[in-house]
Amino acid sequence: MPDYGPFEMIAYAGSKVLEDETVVFVGTGLPIIASLHAQLTHAPQLQMIFEAGSLGAQLDQGLPLSVGDTKAFRKALYAKGLCGAFELTQRGYSDYAFIGGAEIDMYGNLNSTFQGGTYSESKVRFPGSGGAGAMSANCEKTIAIMALEKRRFTEKLQFVTSIGYGDGSPDYREKAGVYGSGPYRVITNEALFGYDKDTRRMMLLEVLPGLTPADIQEKVGFELLISPDLKEMAEPTEEDLRLLRDECDPDGYFLKRVVKK
Amino acid sequence: MTETASSLIKNVSQLGEEELKKRDVPFEYWGPTPKEARKAAVGKKKGLHDKRTTLKEAVSKYVKDGMNIGLGGFVNTRTPVAAVHEIIRQGCKDITLSMQSNSICAELLAAAMILDPDHVSVKRVEMAWWGYEVIGIAPIFRYLVSRGEILVDDYTNYGMSARFKAGSLGLPFIPTRDHGGSDMELVNRGKMIKCPFTNENIYLVPACNPDVALIHTQVADMHGNARIFGALCTCPEIAMAANHTILTVEQVIPNENIRKYPNLTEIPYMIVDAVVEQPLGAYPGAVYGYNWFDMPEILEFRKGCDEFRKTGNKDGMQAYFDKYIFGCETFDDFLATRPYSKIKEMKQNDGVQPILID
Repeated sequence: MPDYGPFEMIAYAGSKVLEDETVVFVGTGLPIIASLHAQLTHAPQLQMIFEAGSLGAQLDQGLPLSVGDTKAFRKALYAKGLCGAFELTQRGYSDYAFIGGAEIDMYGNLNSTFQGGTYSESKVRFPGSGGAGAMSANCEKTIAIMALEKRRFTEKLQFVTSIGYGDGSPDYREKAGVYGSGPYRVITNEALFGYDKDTRRMMLLEVLPGLTPADIQEKVGFELLISPDLKEMAEPTEEDLRLLRDECDPDGYFLKRVVKK
Repeated sequence: MTETASSLIKNVSQLGEEELKKRDVPFEYWGPTPKEARKAAVGKKKGLHDKRTTLKEAVSKYVKDGMNIGLGGFVNTRTPVAAVHEIIRQGCKDITLSMQSNSICAELLAAAMILDPDHVSVKRVEMAWWGYEVIGIAPIFRYLVSRGEILVDDYTNYGMSARFKAGSLGLPFIPTRDHGGSDMELVNRGKMIKCPFTNENIYLVPACNPDVALIHTQVADMHGNARIFGALCTCPEIAMAANHTILTVEQVIPNENIRKYPNLTEIPYMIVDAVVEQPLGAYPGAVYGYNWFDMPEILEFRKGCDEFRKTGNKDGMQAYFDKYIFGCETFDDFLATRPYSKIKEMKQNDGVQPILID
């Protein structure tokens, strides 16, 4: 197996989750790289929406450094504003929300608003929902990218910024007035999670070769369900790494921190 | 007939009764009501006049203490920085900011408040996101929230965009499928109702009609008919919702160009009260077709702010404001402090994005 970094693994794992003939609403950084990799491999008919308002851009000026970057509009098929992007989504034309967050709980709710203190006087105030709250409500499936750390996979969120399955009630999302079906995958460099159909709780689906479910549970602050069909995560091949490094993020803005296995 | 409703968020929320009580106040618009906004529109002269002016005059005429200021652009794109510099120069107290996602404009105004609250003060913000994206968090925002010195009303990016859209439609609210089931349902000024048609819960967000919108676009004619290329952001909606719009543009183009491709007009003239030709008016933000954003410049400004947040030392911030805002008569004076090589690089980084100005 070739050496790869944690961010390369996340981008590769993210790519594999995305199906062809779909639309992905991308957040900044790794979601864009994962989507580009998917387009170059198994999903040539995957299209990206950037929340500033572009659909189907061809990023031949290089990677946009933010979702509002002018480069995210390069050779797009449709260029409007935030209303254009989010209304397509609310209408049902975005299959995946591809987002990050500071913290996630077992029902896939995400916090990107604050930690510590109170809401009105928070110790650490994050920038806020941005598009994430709308994407997690309105895209059909939510894919979250997180670093696998206990402080991020937490029992209780101080603030629910992006809706997941709430308290796990079967009608939580319906009562929230939300139509998207909700949390789908959580991607980390060491494990891939999904959700149990009946309890809507986070479930370990795949682990990195060499790691056990106990290793993963160690890094998660709530009790994980383990899939009866637990698999090993596929690792990127030399060709996948070439695509990621040379084609998707040639300047290494988001992938460059390479940690040897 | 509608009835109020709620999601099951209270089963999940950790906010606590005390925090929720603080938010349990009668609803009020944080700017003009829809009726007041309509009255302002009706009261405008609708002729095609030459609205070209200077930022000094436009800001002195349209920006007053206590106003709701709507910020155009998105994060680091088409940020109305030139107008914000002028507002800071002239001073403006007790303002409310409304925006979806912004970086340097909001930080500049908030930092000005730290330096002299008797000159500039921001009492509250209705927003989705305040930060610099890849560059980092917004230090002054974090500082102010940690001390409870700014009242924040949190929405999603679509929520804020939809609020401006409701304002632009002359309506008091708009239904969205965001916010419900998140803690924003409990703390922001929207409301869950049971839809009278589907009998399903649906979240209503109140219209946002700023007193004055600050918008920077690529081109407009002297009457204010404006074109936008690349991301529209939420600029057409913000301008349309606001009682007054100060429009800065890279270039003023002839009216006959506008009439040639009227479909390209995203903001019609009567919405706009002042047209200011200000090349690089979003600097250090990006303007599609003209310049990419200048990351080192943003880092430089942010450095002073972060230094203050971490140590309480205001010197770096003060020096930036003294030299580049209070030490300048105009935004052109500020731009003149930047080497041509920097401007050239930003233009090259834009990569000549195609725009139509003829």
